Amino acid sequence: MMDVLIETRGLTRNYGEICALKPLDLRVNNGEWLSIMGHSGSGKSTLLNLLGGLDRPSDGFIRVGGEDLRVLSEDGMARYRREFVGIIFQQHHLIPYLTAVENIMMAQYFHSVPDEAEARTALERVGLGHRLKNRPGELSGGEQQRVCIARAIINSPRLLLGDEPTGNLDHGSTRVVMELLSELRAEEQFTIIMVTHNHEVAAWGDRTIYLDDGVMVREELKGD
Amino acid sequence: MGALKLTVLILAWGGIIIVLGRGFSVNRLLLAVSNATGFAAGVAVGALLLSTLQGDASFAVAKAVLSALFLLHWLVSLAALYRSTGEGTTVERFQKMSNNPLSAACCSIAVGILAGTICSFRFIPQGGEVPLLTVVIVGFSGVCLTAFFFGVEQFVPKMPVPTAEVLMAIVVSFILFASSSIPRLDLFSPLVMKVMKLIHDIVHQFFESMLIPDHLFFRPEVWNYIGLLFGNRVGLWGGMLIWFTPVLLVAAAIRLERLPSVAHIRQGAERRTLLKAHIRERRTRLVAPLIAGVMLAAAVFQSRFPAVEYWDPKPLKVAATPSGSIFIPLTGEIDLKDGKIHKFLFKERGRDARFMVLQNSAGGYTVTLDACSICKPDGYGQTEGAVICYYCKTLIPLETVGKPGGCNPVPVPFMMEKNGIAIDGAALLNLWGITVQATNRVKGAAR
Repeated sequence: MMDVLIETRGLTRNYGEICALKPLDLRVNNGEWLSIMGHSGSGKSTLLNLLGGLDRPSDGFIRVGGEDLRVLSEDGMARYRREFVGIIFQQHHLIPYLTAVENIMMAQYFHSVPDEAEARTALERVGLGHRLKNRPGELSGGEQQRVCIARAIINSPRLLLGDEPTGNLDHGSTRVVMELLSELRAEEQFTIIMVTHNHEVAAWGDRTIYLDDGVMVREELKGD
Repeated sequence: MGALKLTVLILAWGGIIIVLGRGFSVNRLLLAVSNATGFAAGVAVGALLLSTLQGDASFAVAKAVLSALFLLHWLVSLAALYRSTGEGTTVERFQKMSNNPLSAACCSIAVGILAGTICSFRFIPQGGEVPLLTVVIVGFSGVCLTAFFFGVEQFVPKMPVPTAEVLMAIVVSFILFASSSIPRLDLFSPLVMKVMKLIHDIVHQFFESMLIPDHLFFRPEVWNYIGLLFGNRVGLWGGMLIWFTPVLLVAAAIRLERLPSVAHIRQGAERRTLLKAHIRERRTRLVAPLIAGVMLAAAVFQSRFPAVEYWDPKPLKVAATPSGSIFIPLTGEIDLKDGKIHKFLFKERGRDARFMVLQNSAGGYTVTLDACSICKPDGYGQTEGAVICYYCKTLIPLETVGKPGGCNPVPVPFMMEKNGIAIDGAALLNLWGITVQATNRVKGAAR
């Protein structure tokens, strides 16, 4: 039996009168790749924010890697985000005036201490060994997303969250990014939870769940 | 004032006990007993010195021990810096010592003796019969305080990786803080004087042959820079450099210390996390020299603004003879031959002037105003080897009293007679008037 990394029971998030996420029960195993699909406003990003420690639930239970996120202090939450989670955003959120390697070192800095050699190696692993000193504006969308992946995995997270990481990429770049993530997961054994609108991208996961109006309406295993 | 003096000593002793208790990794009861025993012994030693040695000899002995301790602190700090470069292991044995019960006990006793001696110099009157009751009260109070501070000590965070140089830096700073509250045990003021004298002597010797305004090589502007070395603050800055350098060396040694190797850890994030922990621990250890620096700064402050007043006799009123001359006899109501400053107040027709008479080390006499030509006329007090301007706190060596210029007391013309000193009263009043007027012209009369 695989060990459970994420467990939620009755997880709810309200924004005033609006219920963005209705009571959700979810279990994600260690090392699993879970895709989350749904229309805009279905609660995908809300769920991702709760799992990433960027937001707190209104109600319900949420435990990730043995940490009960409801009771963590602000410092504990910061440590959780720093040491446990890596996030890849659709809009990259790279610092425009820093080079690729410096962007990676920034993540190292907030985690512990910067190590340029390690940052270089991380960029080489994602195939950007020749773009170390380029700033984000000098990189293509696919390359920027690969920098984001390097940044997300540099601190060896156990949970990698992707919020539509290929949403801005063309077909070729999407494939490169997904292959890269697949390779890295095989090497590092981290768990991936990825929000996407793209069925092809979702198909890279071991399991896909569908959200609609804050409710999980369907679940598909790979090959179903 | 008495409460302040007492607070200084209690603070210093408390600090020492907490530092030793947190620094040594040995049985705390052993440390407490060693400290208390040392303190009691120190009080007895102080009483013995005060009762057996004449004059300031007892203070000279204690001061010599404090100076030796400060010198040792210097040497240990230098050794620590040397070790931190990774090229020597000479200080390793000190680290072993801090975990050894015997060496910990010996250090505690030695520190206790020093602290006890300093306390006894504060509370036991000098010369004659030593009051046994005072000795017992001081000793007993020290022992009680030791027990109290060992109770407090357990609530203080443990010192990360204590080393001999760090322990020594803090303990020495607390001891110097305590000793600086007693002017005759204060090391800083004499240090400032010696540095000032040394610099003046060096500059004077070096340029003696060139003290000619139209020298071939030195343009007049050069003298402006040479003049800086004769400033009143030179001794202070030089003294502070010597005073704080050991602590800075200890801080530098900690900062330069090599971090433990983390190369064996494969995962980058884990490796960096461990490295960060080491860096944080090294940074935390810098708190120790910081505390020592603060205590040394407090010692400097006390030294320049002591809780204990300087020798400052109440001005004796004098009058002029019908011929207008003021006559001060060498002996009589006041003994001018004791090497101390003696102050006099002359009043005539609504005008007054304050002046001082001092016998210098050569046996001659100097008469000066109790004011300089720069500061407000707050007057002077006397400390070891110097007088101090109460307004600007500048120390003036006794040898230079009687010479004009700077913050020196303004010299007063006088006639040396067989049995005393004669001063022209009118000239004295005029000189005082001119001097005070001049200093009051400057707003705030600050230099």
